Amino acid sequence: MSTKAKISATQDGQSVIEERSRRVPRKARFDVSPYMFILPFVIFCLALLLYPVVYSLTLSFRQATVDTFVSGNMPFNGFTQYQAAVADPVFWRAVVNTVLFAFFSILFQFSIGFLLALFFQANFPLKNFCLALLLIPWVSPVLTAANIFKGLFNEIGPVNQISHLIGLGPFPWLADPAYAFPATIVANIWIGFPFNFILLYAGMRSIPAEVYEAAKIDGARFWKRVAHITLPMLKPVSVAVLTLGTIYTVKVFDLVFIMTGGGPANGTQLLSTYAYQVGFSLLNFGEAAAIATLMVLLVLLLNLVQLLLQRK
Amino acid sequence: MTLFANLPRWWITVAALVVSAILLSPFYWVLVGSFMTPAELFGGQMSLWPKHFAFQNWSVAVSRLWPHIQNSLLVSAVASVGTLLITAPAAYGLVWRKPRGRRTMMAFMLMTQMLPAIVFVIPLFIVFTKINLVNTLGGLILADMTFTIPFAVIMLSAYVKDLPYELVEAALVDGAGQLRAFLMIVLPMTLPGLITVGVFSFLIPWGDLIFALSLITEASLQPLTLELYKAFGQYGVDWGFLLPGSVLTAIPAVLFVIGASRFIVAGVTRGAIK
Repeated sequence: MSTKAKISATQDGQSVIEERSRRVPRKARFDVSPYMFILPFVIFCLALLLYPVVYSLTLSFRQATVDTFVSGNMPFNGFTQYQAAVADPVFWRAVVNTVLFAFFSILFQFSIGFLLALFFQANFPLKNFCLALLLIPWVSPVLTAANIFKGLFNEIGPVNQISHLIGLGPFPWLADPAYAFPATIVANIWIGFPFNFILLYAGMRSIPAEVYEAAKIDGARFWKRVAHITLPMLKPVSVAVLTLGTIYTVKVFDLVFIMTGGGPANGTQLLSTYAYQVGFSLLNFGEAAAIATLMVLLVLLLNLVQLLLQRK
Repeated sequence: MTLFANLPRWWITVAALVVSAILLSPFYWVLVGSFMTPAELFGGQMSLWPKHFAFQNWSVAVSRLWPHIQNSLLVSAVASVGTLLITAPAAYGLVWRKPRGRRTMMAFMLMTQMLPAIVFVIPLFIVFTKINLVNTLGGLILADMTFTIPFAVIMLSAYVKDLPYELVEAALVDGAGQLRAFLMIVLPMTLPGLITVGVFSFLIPWGDLIFALSLITEASLQPLTLELYKAFGQYGVDWGFLLPGSVLTAIPAVLFVIGASRFIVAGVTRGAIK
């Protein structure tokens, strides 16, 4: 193509001008090729992402229960579903649980991840092997972790066996709300610490060594360097980790669904499990959709609070 | 900067292995427990090693789960390939071809990451019921892809952004078409990203429970996770089935992590921070 154009250009000047004048408007015209690359993606997004989101939102303003769902006519009834949702004490229990679940999960995930990341700044043989191993709780299915912790916290399971050895317990781990809730948090910390670890690890590695060297010469001790160099320089990464952590933790469903099903007595009920229960056990899709919308608002609110705290 | 600059390096390795062993001890329990009879597993005394290996746990679990493993393999493989086919060109198109509305699209992708699964589960259940996609593996694949597509586009965009675009431009000047430039230059150069995204787009459907739970009631079509979930019966938990099944469910993740840890570590950090 390009060689041909060159040949014609050497033959006479006229065709060069023609070539150019044809080319200029072609470039100015609407370029379809970017849209060819994104077309399947756009279709998928419209049909399977945007449409469900809009559907869920409109559903929350409709009476969508077993009867109306079967008849196919789901009448709009304004904020009725939202009113029903917030009138139920279980909803508020789920809100409080979700916030506490997120707070304690993130607190410990972040702390464990931070300490591990600090530890792994050293270079030692088999480091990458250990790093890969520590990722396993995070990449393996939540179902696996949930099954494991359901076993570990069994009345006569390993946790109680160990606490018996040191003269404590047995504790009614999954049978009593006061114990079941922390048990689910422990399981979630275990699932989530690798994610915090790996991001903080990468973040710490990107801090230039010279900064530390300078501090070392100034005689700053290790923990002082951590507090005055690592933590402040890690802030952008920490913010990302905490934001993502909040988003992921509020979404947790499988873990609690399998370990406790939200029980006993709604003691571990999260908004995610509650919405699923309202939708698929009580078959009240409208109210479930309303709870889902409120969940999204909660995520936004939590991230906003976090943002304000981080500003300080 | 390290805490143990003066220690012999192998000592640190030992310390790291001990820490890893403690953190991964729940896996030890499920692995060893999968060879124990329920009586030994929860028999008052803690046993760290099976007295008699109960291999029948495994043979029963494998034969019961095998058809469902096949379902899961099919769903995860198709979802993974489908995700790559859709998102690899899209990432290139969005980042370098700059179509109108790309910022809105990326913002929407980030927003979907915030949405709880239930936002998709209920509409897809209702819509799929209407168009007969409930109780089909195709329906489950599409549903699973609502998780993988946004994540894949976000992650691949980060990789494509890092690409030296001059190479693509050079190819275009040499007369290669957009498609050719994409296939011959962009794809090979983003291979680590494609591998990472492909792996995660396999693992996410593989571990999915909520879509399977709401969309697949036909027993023969149920994926591994759903069959395993049946171990929680009305009359208690079938531990002899649950534990080997849990190990089986974790195998692809473990294999992938060990095999591709280099890519995964780089990929995770890239996608999340940028």
